[in-house]
Amino acid sequence: MKRNTIVLGAVLFILSTFAWAGWANYEYRKQAAERLLASVAKGELVVDASSGDGKYVSPLTGKPAPAFALEDLTGKKVSLADYKGKAVLVNFWATWCAPCKIETPWLVELRNQYSAQGFEVLGISADDLDKDDVKKLADEKKEIGRTADQLHIPYPVLIDGGSIDTAYGGLDELPMSFYVDRNGTVVATQMGLSSKDEMEANIKKALGN
Amino acid sequence: MYMAGKRNWVSVAATLLVLAMPSGWAQSDTMSHSILAGSAVEFQYPEQITVPAGKTTTVALHFRVAQGLHINSHTPRDQYLIPTAFSIPDGTGVQLSDAVYPPGKDFTLPAAPADKLSVYTDEFVIQAKIVAPAGNHLVQAKLHFQACNNAMCMPPKTIPVAIDVIGK
Repeated sequence: MKRNTIVLGAVLFILSTFAWAGWANYEYRKQAAERLLASVAKGELVVDASSGDGKYVSPLTGKPAPAFALEDLTGKKVSLADYKGKAVLVNFWATWCAPCKIETPWLVELRNQYSAQGFEVLGISADDLDKDDVKKLADEKKEIGRTADQLHIPYPVLIDGGSIDTAYGGLDELPMSFYVDRNGTVVATQMGLSSKDEMEANIKKALGN
Repeated sequence: MYMAGKRNWVSVAATLLVLAMPSGWAQSDTMSHSILAGSAVEFQYPEQITVPAGKTTTVALHFRVAQGLHINSHTPRDQYLIPTAFSIPDGTGVQLSDAVYPPGKDFTLPAAPADKLSVYTDEFVIQAKIVAPAGNHLVQAKLHFQACNNAMCMPPKTIPVAIDVIGK
């Protein structure tokens, strides 16, 4: 009699467990479907929550900045290694990027303010280049140069950022900034337009202040 | 023996409980980095149209810009901005004789309230004037645009606009 009760209880427990699991699975899948539907319908840019403050944290943070050697607007090769011992802000931008143009004057001011302490900005254009078409390529370089002039950029402007985008985690959004300290380590990253204050704090971090 | 049987039942129940747990509970929904979830612009309709063969016909093409994003209108205020443009590649049998774009909406980024942009948000309609010969033509038209939100921009993109054009 006691054994039967235990068996009956166990069977009921198992059945209720399955019923609960089925319901929980249904709810989970329903929520997942709603999330998927919402993401497709909205298509919003969303930021990583892993940093705790909703800000982007690149996997490169804390790692050596990927090396590169790119041409500047005069055709001269400029490499990150040229700035060994300096704090460098590697700033990806593009001529068509409105938020990039908002932050550029801040970059110029901060660069002028901190250059004496060993700080430099490398502005890397992510504009597409038609490398196989000499005329188009010349026009594209001219356009980048004209934009740089309009923005009164005093720091080196490098082209063909697309050739190093994989090393820097992809340039799916601009502006994108990597703050590199004097030892060549990425100490902070910034995706999208933030504020001059935040940029300055990251520059100080890169300088070791 | 009785205790052993009881332990077995408990073990079986615990195992079933673990197995029955929704798999999603063991995963986190963390995203590795900022991404665009979904497409910035989607072609909505029409998927199929019937037009008089050989005659210019205006077709209203409906597009939707994802929430929170904007794209430049066909006539952005600054020359450096990339305009939205609709095209039909050669060789499809269907010709695009003209395209009439809606005017852009004024838009300002919070960080630069003085600079007005001309953009499309939400839904917009392009009036495409096409000429199709008799027959069924599956046209892979294109929409070129460049999308941003308030803080960042995505590279220019071209999406396919598939329309089944029947000329009668």
